[in-house]
Order: sequence, then structure tokens, then C-alpha cells
Amino acid sequence: MAQLAMVIDLRKCAGCGACGIACKMENNTPDRRGGQTFNWADFFVETGGSFPNVEFTFFPVLCNHCSDAPCVTMCPVNPKALSKTPEGITIKDDSRCIGCRICQSACPYSARDVDTDEVQYSVISYNEASAPTHPFWEDTSVLISGCTSSGKDVSTKAGVTPPNMNAYEGTPYDTVRRPNVVEKCILCHHRIKEGDRPWCVQSCPSGARVVGDLDDPSSEVSRLLSQHQAKRLKNNHGELLAPGDPGVRPNVYYINEFMTTK
Amino acid sequence: MTETASARPKKGMKRRTFLVTGALSAAALSVMKVPRLHAFKKVDSQRLAGYVQGAWVPTTCQGCTTWCAVEVFVQDGRASHVRGNQHSQANYGHVCPKGHLLIQQLYDPDRVKVPMKRTNTRKGKGVDPQFVPITWDEATDTIATKLMELRAADETHKFLFLRGRYSNGLNSVIYDSFPKLFGSPNNVSHSAVCAEAEKFGPYYTEGQWSYRQYDLTATECLVLWGTDPLSANRHVPFAIKAIPELLERGGKMITIDPRLSSTALKSHRWAPVTPGQDGALASAIAHVILTEGRWSKQFVGDFNDGVNRFVTDQLVSEDTFTENHSSGLVKWWNIELKDKTPAWASVLTGLTAAEIISIARMMADAAPRTCIWLGPGACMSPRGSYTSMAIHALNGLLGSADSEGGIFYKPKVSKGSLPSISAYQDETATTGLKQKKIDQRGTLLFPALKEGKSGGGVVSNRTAQAILDEDPYDIKVIIANWVNYNYSGYQTELWDRAMEKVPFLVHITTNASEMSQFADIVLPAAHHATERYSGSDNAGNRISFVSIQQPVVEPLWDVRSCEGEVPWLIAEKLRDKGFSNIYDYFSSEIKDPDTGATPTNSAEFALYTAKIFLQDAYTRAGGWDTFKQVGMTSYGPAEFGKTWSNLKTATGKFEFYSETLKAALQSHADKHATTINDVLSQCSLLAMDDMAFVPHYEPPLRIGSKAGFPMDFVDYKSRLNREGRAGNCSWYYEFKKVDPGDVRWDDVIKINPQDAASLNLNNGDVVTVNSPTGSVKATIRIWPGIAPGVATKSFGQGHWAVGKIATIDYHGAKARGANNNDLMPAEYDRLSGSSARNGGFFGVRIDPVTSVAAAPKAADFDLLPVYPNPTAMPRASVTVYLSKPAPVRLELFNNLGAKVREVVDTQLNNGTHTIPLDLSQLPAGLYLLRMRSGEFVKSQKLIIQR
Repeated sequence: MAQLAMVIDLRKCAGCGACGIACKMENNTPDRRGGQTFNWADFFVETGGSFPNVEFTFFPVLCNHCSDAPCVTMCPVNPKALSKTPEGITIKDDSRCIGCRICQSACPYSARDVDTDEVQYSVISYNEASAPTHPFWEDTSVLISGCTSSGKDVSTKAGVTPPNMNAYEGTPYDTVRRPNVVEKCILCHHRIKEGDRPWCVQSCPSGARVVGDLDDPSSEVSRLLSQHQAKRLKNNHGELLAPGDPGVRPNVYYINEFMTTK
Repeated sequence: MTETASARPKKGMKRRTFLVTGALSAAALSVMKVPRLHAFKKVDSQRLAGYVQGAWVPTTCQGCTTWCAVEVFVQDGRASHVRGNQHSQANYGHVCPKGHLLIQQLYDPDRVKVPMKRTNTRKGKGVDPQFVPITWDEATDTIATKLMELRAADETHKFLFLRGRYSNGLNSVIYDSFPKLFGSPNNVSHSAVCAEAEKFGPYYTEGQWSYRQYDLTATECLVLWGTDPLSANRHVPFAIKAIPELLERGGKMITIDPRLSSTALKSHRWAPVTPGQDGALASAIAHVILTEGRWSKQFVGDFNDGVNRFVTDQLVSEDTFTENHSSGLVKWWNIELKDKTPAWASVLTGLTAAEIISIARMMADAAPRTCIWLGPGACMSPRGSYTSMAIHALNGLLGSADSEGGIFYKPKVSKGSLPSISAYQDETATTGLKQKKIDQRGTLLFPALKEGKSGGGVVSNRTAQAILDEDPYDIKVIIANWVNYNYSGYQTELWDRAMEKVPFLVHITTNASEMSQFADIVLPAAHHATERYSGSDNAGNRISFVSIQQPVVEPLWDVRSCEGEVPWLIAEKLRDKGFSNIYDYFSSEIKDPDTGATPTNSAEFALYTAKIFLQDAYTRAGGWDTFKQVGMTSYGPAEFGKTWSNLKTATGKFEFYSETLKAALQSHADKHATTINDVLSQCSLLAMDDMAFVPHYEPPLRIGSKAGFPMDFVDYKSRLNREGRAGNCSWYYEFKKVDPGDVRWDDVIKINPQDAASLNLNNGDVVTVNSPTGSVKATIRIWPGIAPGVATKSFGQGHWAVGKIATIDYHGAKARGANNNDLMPAEYDRLSGSSARNGGFFGVRIDPVTSVAAAPKAADFDLLPVYPNPTAMPRASVTVYLSKPAPVRLELFNNLGAKVREVVDTQLNNGTHTIPLDLSQLPAGLYLLRMRSGEFVKSQKLIIQR
């Protein structure tokens, strides 16, 4: 077996947001609505301390592809819609998902509604049953009649929804989800299987994100983790796992400090 | 690919990452096989495996002035991804978050898809233009008719071209040839809204009117002064990569900024200087460096006997010191620095003397590998030219100028230029060109001393007031391209009134933006990076590069290349109406460099023009077709130290006493038959005599009294701003929290917890932010990253037009968020022509929205104290406040009770108004300024010193 993991070097991370935006393009995720972010890559940000001794916390976040993934354990369908690949990716089979959202409740990094739960992010988002996945590109309203277009006009002319759709083939998950399914980061499984890095990793301008196999001692992630005291998130409130606490065995690790003065 | 086109390691270059095009096969990896790290490809191959029919197509991002060479991934004719050009040393093959956003710009449903004309003759903010679609033929015919009217009336100078975002490849057509062949001197760029003050210091010390380059890969102490390159302009992807590497190798970082910026978070020291006091800090740092004997002996020189005579408060004899590559060090000390101690600066800057000394020592310890990156935040303020000099001079003092690990200038590139227009200029054109430029550059109050010349630079934002005052004359026709002054200009209400006044406005734009609302004709522009041919040149990481812009996708709508095709189409119509000179020049002089063919239509014309500019770059790359695949050619790398003692200054040296500035000021004074001291005084500067020629501290000029507008305002640019054009991108709002202190889907004004407590404000409260010239609504965020007494908010939101996302209600002109520029008074750093936007040059007052409605009647009117006061200046200003429109009379009396000035007697709108006071010719003494409005009477004292 193998376990892919991501190590994020917070010293390298500029907090720029490129990974989050790049992910939306790679995975065709829609804009947030109804307490669902649809951000497979997102950020936890917090400012504390007092002027001028400020404490600033910044974590780029994504699915932790946990080794004890509660979303997989709790997925009620058989065979499961959520499962682990041999590489350790927590992957989805969209044809199996019934939209029950138990995974959202089970995942410590997710919320059924980020607004009512007052959390900064949710790893898993849900596409409601009775609405299109990309309402923005289905919208027919026009700003200036005859002079500007609508979302629907653009996607129709482009031939796909969304018009910038990244199309890829041969995967159990859909490039664009249908209504009444959940969605989350799949570590760009479609790229990894072709030997490419996840698009967030490839797009990071500082090289802060590294993906590799924890079970391979020669991998860069193994090397980084042997050299650094790494941190892992416990939940989506920015809390960290205490040393020795395996939690649900998340596989996203953070090394170094975001602030140079820390 | 040729050698020059590729990113090859060069001799003597160290610690640099070079990218190679990945050609590893992915075929060996199957779905089930577990990939190992070393199995990952270095970079994606040209056709990504697993993707449907895709290819990376190179072009250039112009989301900021870094102008990154990028690539767009195209699948089935659609753009889906963006990355840096894989050959680029300047961005290491990566884009910053702004680069990705260009996809949302491209597919924005609110883009104007056909030309349109207004059918409502009434113009104004919030007045629906009632646009209807028209053909390109009708649009260009109407424009040509208006232009012909100007020619018939010998008023060609009353045509104004306003330039915004431009590309070097086509700029000379629309910005240069077109107005000059037509006969107008008025090609006004947007440059002085964004920059220029930061070029003033480098020019008048080092002879370079230019952005600097920064040797980040060899720097040991990086000082980010009023700039935030991890977020915004310039070199963003380079900084994001190189700064952590600098930290990794033990380099030091210092950020000087009132606000906890992205770079402050990464710095060893964050020096939150009081807004506008950067010059005091610079002078104190120079004082420490000199008194501690830490200047660069190699670059600057030394005392003849090696004994340091720079002792606080002691004058030094000039003949005791021999300089090497600099000039005027001892003069600088004697005139400015000898008493600028850290203790003195501490009071002004809010930093302790110990901090100032420590920062100076960190800079000296690493010198000459100390890189002082001067940004707009430190000098885009009313007296910022001298701050620009004071900060940049430190690079000279430490020997970091044109030095490894320090600052330098971009290597030369070879760019093609268009053939001469002179044979096609008729008498009307040459007569029109002799008229004064509309922006008042070079007038007594606007020296705009670019490159030593009075009026050499632009005073972009002044154009609005000049149009309103018809000074020097009225403007009748404007073509504005990729510019949106009614949003990006300062004191936007001036632009609203100016654009309302202009009889005929053509706006070339992607979206119906704020400026479009005043337009008679709107022309839909091709998206700069993805829908048309052009090119640009820029630099970074020691190399310069020329990169292509090309149509990576077929446009969905009936758009045209703004800088290339539009002038051709108008030229055709002018020809049909009897003025063929522009068309004749375009159609006979512009030739395809490869075939010599002349253009027969607008698309060929735009393409050939772009190719002329790019000719050297694509020839080096192996030809045009190869260049379209490669996208860029690199030039360089820069070599260090070659300019020492051979600078383009009056002395050839790095000038601490600027003979270059002295000559420039003298020529400006001579032009206006006055003295340099009078010029300085008229331009609100406090320096007199020799002080004017050395880098020095000028106290900040603040508009709005502390009593009326207690908080300093600090503006900054979002790391997601594509200049002002990301406002209709949902990802902008979704990820707004990546700007430190900001939140998603809101526009917050950040204040210190102490101020929140004293104002009784909580997170999420909606407040009115009032400045002397404007008022906006924003949401409070309590944040420790800003000092008490300072309020800070990002620029980038507050569009009342543009699109469905940018606004809350487009047809109701209701903005999402608030535009900082609505608050900013139209004030200037007059020596450089820059607009003021930083340095706490105005104050704000934050009122809870509810309490404004319940304000007591006594606050219906107010007259705030005169500023400056006491004053020796010929001009001052006073702010009046009205809660409702009312007649206002302002009179100035001397101490005998005699009226000496009738300042204002007019109807004023509600809001705050800053009213200028002309104090010239008034003798010294005590004066009383009285405001009357109905029953309301209030007076303020004013002391004039002479």
C-alpha cells in the first residue's frame, strides 16, 4: 500500500490564494451558495495579539485524505460512494452518491452549512437536489438588453458549462457534478494517475505544497516530515492535533511558521 | 527554440532556478500504479495527459505592471487554465492569483458584446444612458463625424485620448500616431495615478526615471518600504518564490508600512511608521549610518584621513572628504542630516529610537547586499518627491545601487518602432500639436519634472479639473481606452462632473464601467491577454523579456483590438469624409516585417503593428510561428556596477546633492519668471534654498483637520486586483480573505481595537467613512494590524457599474463595497506630477450609519479649522460640512474687521467640501474666516506668517 500526503511549508506560503483559485478552475466548482463553499482548496485565517505584536495564523486547507476517513466509514451506500484508492486518496464515485450528506456531518473538517455553523471552510460541499450545479451559467438575465450577454448565453456559445470547463476523461467522478451529490477534493486523482502533480501544487508560485508517498522513505514528503516538527489540523476551527493524538489520521501536514517572527 | 528564447543558465548567475520543458512520458504510469514523488513530472508536458484536446498557448497577463509572460491552456477552443510561461526566469513559470482571474474576465457575461450608443441625452452618475446596440460601421462613422467637426473648426487640440492599460506592441498607434496625425497634443496616460513619485527619487539621485529591479536572489537584507510585492505590483510571482528562499538562506527582511501587509508578515521587522513620516525615518537611518561610519567606502568614498567627522549636530568641511561614485555627501549631511537623530525621528514616526538604530544597523550589516525596495506607499503623497529621494539615497549610501544583491535597472531589449509620421502631418495637425496639453503639466503649480524637464511628466488626475475649468481650454471629444477614471481617478466626483460636461465621449472597454455611463459611444474591446495580437516588454530577476499577446481563443462576441483595429476603423471613416492622412500612413507605412505586405483591413493592420514591435524577439526565437509557440524572448542578464560614475545625472555621479534637480527646478522657475523658492512655496513644499536639492524630510501635508477628520487613512491594493478590473469576478470576493485582515464577500475598513472601543463600534457594523471630499459606506473590522488613529481599507471594490457581481444593483448605480478613490481628495506630489494616495494625506471620520440619521440639528453645518495654520503659504484650504444642500458664504476678514476676501458665495451640495483659500498678497497677521448659511454662523482664526 501507499499513502499520498501533502506537506505545506508555511514559511514558503505567501498566503496568496493562487491554490484556491486554481483549484476552482481545475475542478469546475461553482460559486458558494446556501452555506456550501464548493472550495475544494480554501484557507483558515486568524489574526490575534495586539498592535504591533500581531499573531497571524494562515492555513491553506483541503481534504486531509485521512487514513481513518470518517466520510468513508459513514458512507451508507454499498458499494460506498466514498472510498480510498490504493494511493490513499479519498475518492468519490459520483454515480453511487445519494446526497445524504452523512459524510459532511462525519468529517471533522466539514460543515453542513458554513454560515449557520460559523466556520471558515468546509472540505465537503453539497449540490442541492433541485438546482443546477452552476446556476451562474444558467442565469438568463442580461445587464443591458442587446448589448451584454447572460451566463446562459456565454455557456451556450462556449458549448459547455462552465465555459472554462476543464474536461478530463476516464474517472469515476464527474468533471462537473450533477445535483444532489456531495463534492470534495480528490487530490487531482485524474492528474496523479497520469504522473502530474495536483493542480494546486503545480500552481503554487512558491512551491510550498509538496505531494508524495509517506510509505516511501525517499519521497520528499517523508524527508520533510523527518526534518520538521509537523502540525496537522484537528478540525475546521483552526485547532491543531496535540502531539500523539492521531485524530482521524489526516494526511495534510504543515511545517514551519507562516510568520517569520514566530 | 533558439538559445536566447530559452531560459538557459548563464555564466556567473547563481542560486537561480531554471525551468526546463518537461518531456517525461506519463505513459508508464497507470491508474493503479502508485506514483512516487520522483515519478511526478517537473512540469506538465505541452499536452496534458488526461485532459481533452488541450494545448498551452503563450500570451501576456496585464493584471498589474509586472506584465508576466504566461500561458493559457486551451481545450476545444476554450480557455481553462493559466500558468506562467515555462521559459520565464522572471516568474519561474508561475502566475500569482491575479493571473488565474483573467479567465473570469474573459468569460464575464457582462462584457459589452457589440458597439452601443446612448439614447438618453442627459448624463450623470445614476442616470441610465439607455444604451442600444449599433454596428461597428455606425459607431466609427459617428466618431469620425465628430472628429471632422474639430478639424473643420481648427480645434483638433480639443480631442483628448485617455490611455489606461496599454501594451507596447500597439500603443504607438493609438497613443502616438493617431492623435499626432489628427492634430492633438492630448494623449494623456494614466501613469501618474499609479506611479511616478517613486521614479522621482531614483532620477534625481541616480539619473533613472524608471522602476527599479531587485536582485532578490542575492540580497541579504531586503527592505520593503511602502510596498507589498507578495501581494501587488510589482514582480509578484518572483517575490513569492524568492522571498522564502531569502529567508531560508538566513537573509533579513524589514517591512516599513503603517499596515500589517503580506510582506510584513514574513519580515523579521515590521516598522509600522506613522503615515507620511517615512522621510523622517529615512533621514534618521542615514544619520545613523553616517555617525556610525557604516556607509559604503567603496561607492561613496571616505574622509581623507579616515577619521569619521559625522558627529551629531556638527558641520563637516567638504574638503575633508573625497567621494568616489557619489557627489554631495557632505552637503547632504550639513544641510539635512546632521540633526536628524533617531530620537528626533522617533517622535514623528511612532518608532522607538532603538528600533530605528536597529533597522539602520541591519541594513548596514548586509550592505552592499541590502536591497531597498521603494514603493508607492512611501512617496505617493503631496511632498513625496523628497521622500522618494530620501529613501532611494540609502541605496547609494550603502553601495547597493547597481550592485549585486541590491537594486539595478532592466537590461536593454530590442523593440521595433513604427515609421515616422511627419510626412503625413498636415498644417492643421502641426498647429494643433503646438497647443498646451490639457493636464496642466509644466504650469507653475504642476512642474511634473520627469527626466529633468518642466512638464516632462503627466499629471493624469488633474485632467478632470482642467476640463471643468476649461483651463487651458475646453475639451470636445474624448476617446478613452481601457481606462475608467470615474472609478480609478482620485476624488471621483470631479471625474463624474468632467465627463458629464464633455460633449462627446467614446469609451473602449470590456465592460460598461463607471466611465461608460457618461459615454456617447461604447466600443467593445477584445480582452488584452486572450483575444488579440500585441506584445509587451518588462523585466524581473535580472533579465528583460519581450512577450507576445495573441488570440488564444476565438472571441465569443463582436469585439475588436482596442489599440490596433479601432484606430484603423476610425481612420477609414475619416478617409471617407475627406481626411485620409491617418489611413494613408497606416495603410502604406505599416508593413509585415516578413513579407513587406501592407494591411488591407483592421486585423492585418493590428497584426503587422504587433509584429513590428516584436520583430527582434521573434527573429531571435526562430521566426514568428515559433514565437507564437514559445511566447517570449529573454535579454540579459543585467551586469552590475557598469553605470558607476557614468550615470545620467548632471555630475555623472550618484547625487546626494542633486545638481540635476537644481537645474530642473531652475528651468521651471525661469519658464515662469520666478525663483526656485517661489516654485517650492507655490507647490506646498517647505524646503527653501539648498535644502531643495538634497533628499530631505518634509512634514506630511494633511487635508482635513484632526478635529474634523481624526483618523489617518491608509489605502492599499488587494492582491486579487487586476488593476481595477477584477470587480466583476466572483473569485475575487470568494478569496478576498487572502488580503491580511480582509473577509470574503465584504469590504471592510479596519481599525485598531482601541479606536473601536472609543467609537463604540463592533465587527460587522456598517459605518459611513467621511473624508473632506467624499463619503462611503463600509463594514467595520477590528484588527490589531493597524495602529490606533489609523483606518485602512483595500482598493478594488465599490463599483457602481461594470456588472452584476461588481454592483449590488447596476441600474440603481448601487455599489458592492466602497471605492477608496471616492474619499481621496485630488491632491498631488507636484514635482513629480503624481497623484497623492498614500502617506496619510487626508483624514477620515467614521460615523455609525444610524447616528448620522439621528444627528442633532447643531451638526447640520460645520466650518473646520483652516489648514495649514499658521501658514506662510500662498494657499490654504478649509473644509465645510453641510448635511443638506444650502447657500454658503465664506468671507475672510483681517484683524481690523475689514473684508479681504470673498471666498465663496454659492449654493453647495450636502457633504464635505474642501475650499481653497487664496492667501497670496495678504500681509502677515491674524485673520478671521467666517461661514454663514442661513442662521448658521461660525468663524475660524487664521494666522499668516510672512
